[in-house]
Amino acid sequence: MNLLLQGLALGVLTGGLYALLASGLSLYFGVMRVVMVAHPAFLFLAAYLTYTVHTTLGVDPFLALPLTVPLFFALGVAVQRLLIARLAPENLAMMSVLLTFGIALTIEGLLGTFYTGSYKSVSMEYATRSLTIGGVHLPYDKIIAFGVAALTLAVLFAVLVKSRFGQALRATIQHREAARLVGIQTERVAGYGFGVGLATAAVGGTVLALITPFFPASHWVWIGKLMAIIVVGGLGSVVGAALAAILLGTVEGLVLVAVDATWATMMFYVFLFLTLLARPQGFFGGRLAHRF
Amino acid sequence: MARVRKALTIFSICALGLTACAKTDEPGAAQSPGQQQGPVKIGISLPLTGDFSEPGKGIQEGYKVWADQVNAKGGLLGRKVELIFRDDASDPNRVSSDYESLITQDKVNLVFGPFSSRLVIPAAKVAESYNMVFIEPAGAAAEVFEQGFKRLFYAAPAIADDHYNYLADYITKLPADQRPKTAAYASLDDPFAQGTAYGLRDKLAAAGIKTVVDEVYPPETTDFAPIAAKIAAAKPDLVVGGTQFEDSVGLVRALQELKVQPKLAAFSTGPTLAEFPAAVKGAAEHILSPVGWSAVSTFTGNQEMVKRYKELFGGEANEDAANGYTVGQIAEAAVNAVKCVDPTKECQDKLTEHIRQATFETVVGPLSFDDKGRPEQAHMIQQYVKGKIEIVLPEQAKTTGIVYPKQEW
Repeated sequence: MNLLLQGLALGVLTGGLYALLASGLSLYFGVMRVVMVAHPAFLFLAAYLTYTVHTTLGVDPFLALPLTVPLFFALGVAVQRLLIARLAPENLAMMSVLLTFGIALTIEGLLGTFYTGSYKSVSMEYATRSLTIGGVHLPYDKIIAFGVAALTLAVLFAVLVKSRFGQALRATIQHREAARLVGIQTERVAGYGFGVGLATAAVGGTVLALITPFFPASHWVWIGKLMAIIVVGGLGSVVGAALAAILLGTVEGLVLVAVDATWATMMFYVFLFLTLLARPQGFFGGRLAHRF
Repeated sequence: MARVRKALTIFSICALGLTACAKTDEPGAAQSPGQQQGPVKIGISLPLTGDFSEPGKGIQEGYKVWADQVNAKGGLLGRKVELIFRDDASDPNRVSSDYESLITQDKVNLVFGPFSSRLVIPAAKVAESYNMVFIEPAGAAAEVFEQGFKRLFYAAPAIADDHYNYLADYITKLPADQRPKTAAYASLDDPFAQGTAYGLRDKLAAAGIKTVVDEVYPPETTDFAPIAAKIAAAKPDLVVGGTQFEDSVGLVRALQELKVQPKLAAFSTGPTLAEFPAAVKGAAEHILSPVGWSAVSTFTGNQEMVKRYKELFGGEANEDAANGYTVGQIAEAAVNAVKCVDPTKECQDKLTEHIRQATFETVVGPLSFDDKGRPEQAHMIQQYVKGKIEIVLPEQAKTTGIVYPKQEW
């Protein structure tokens, strides 16, 4: 029983991390129907930058964020305006997979060149300790990841719902031409939307750096998991992706302690399969998926 | 139309004539037949990108150091050694086509193996089909030797199952009151990593040490906390990880977080890499690991290799480089013994027969092979003692005594 509780607690915390890592992916798809295979590669690019800041300046990895978040926002705008905006709109989804796959390979190659293929890690004193509540251990690094994820998603949500930019972005998602008619500069808004997505990768990368050692090819194992999450959540729905992430994280944690790791990893694909069979628009996004 | 055809015919005849003339003008053509000229080409496919890029590069460096030293001594049978590398991106399909083209297109004289059992098996199949002898630096899983390969030799001290032999001996010989009673095993779903952990598990289980957790996780696993939670619930005396790198670090960190304090912790591969202590901080202390090579040993050529490695690549040599180098040493000794280095069946047969019966002096110690190509020696056991890597087993190679039980991490 205690073991199940432990699995549940770890699963929920890990789900929070997944929500953070997947949020950007969901946004790209919502904003411009772009399947962004390079998102995990950008996560690890951020992890490497965090590593550099941490090792050269000797500061807490989270202090890299004031540097990486604006940088990634700018990178996102640049990628969207210079590359993705040029793809033919008829087969955008397909071509964006190819384009971003290329970007992922480029990032991996550059990381290999600059940082070599050896493993890097950011290990903080607090990352190996845990909080114990009633026999259940809650690792601090996971609590931090969960907290950062919650905060980032709250900010993202507030921006999308409350700010003028958020309204313009949602208008662009809902009906691009109508948005243009009321005076929204949709190209620019789409660029910013992409920038916001990539900015979440900067935050996600820092958290990842804290949790796991990494090398240039580390991003491949994350693509499948994160894609499964956004499909289950409903493509394009940031809230749906967050809920699906918590759900899948919890299922993974429980299956891992109750059955084994192979089944736990498989759960992502089982859920993906069931979603595509039963509810292709996703479980949490529903029709809203096309709006947000 | 007819005129065009005529012109073409004339042109082709002229062209043929020209090539024929060119042929006789080639500098090599005057040499006596049978005397192969030019460099000795050695074809190698390695995972230089993808999952195994790190060890792949290590092995490549080992091969390069060996080639550099052989060429400095005047080459193999007086011919310069030239290494031809292909990158298989850790992909078992790519590795087959790489060796296929190295043998048929590049017409290499010898092939050396890639990294990891997963790539060695498809690669060895190709080499075998062309009757090429196949010495490989990293394919220690039991499956490698169950394929019926006749020309495969694994150039390291022991196959996966035997890596922990010295540790198994040590544990089973402890006095009854100190002997651990329970053990937990967690292993990556990979033939080599599993082989190491299961080799130890089977020996300890036979000696009455109970297996309380036996977990296998797929390579995609990114979260080790739930696995550690299972281990924590079982409170084992020993924790053994059949690991590579990320998972060894992930497991150590997760075990700390879940407050598992075993008396002995052993992990394959991860702790032998230079990045390990930085990744787990102080938790590395007293962790045990099987190791096939040591930078301080005085086995044949070892000190020269360590020195030359530093000159060529900066940094310290590692086990992967040593394994690559060992392949070179065996090939060199065999070629010098049978006095041929051709891709022909006769020569490759001679090489195979020689390697099967001889004992080779290498940087990982003397090596000999059984009829399936398995090495007949065992791995040393290393331990982090006061932050330094020490060899603690076996008795005759140790640099300091084993620390048991380990301190808390």
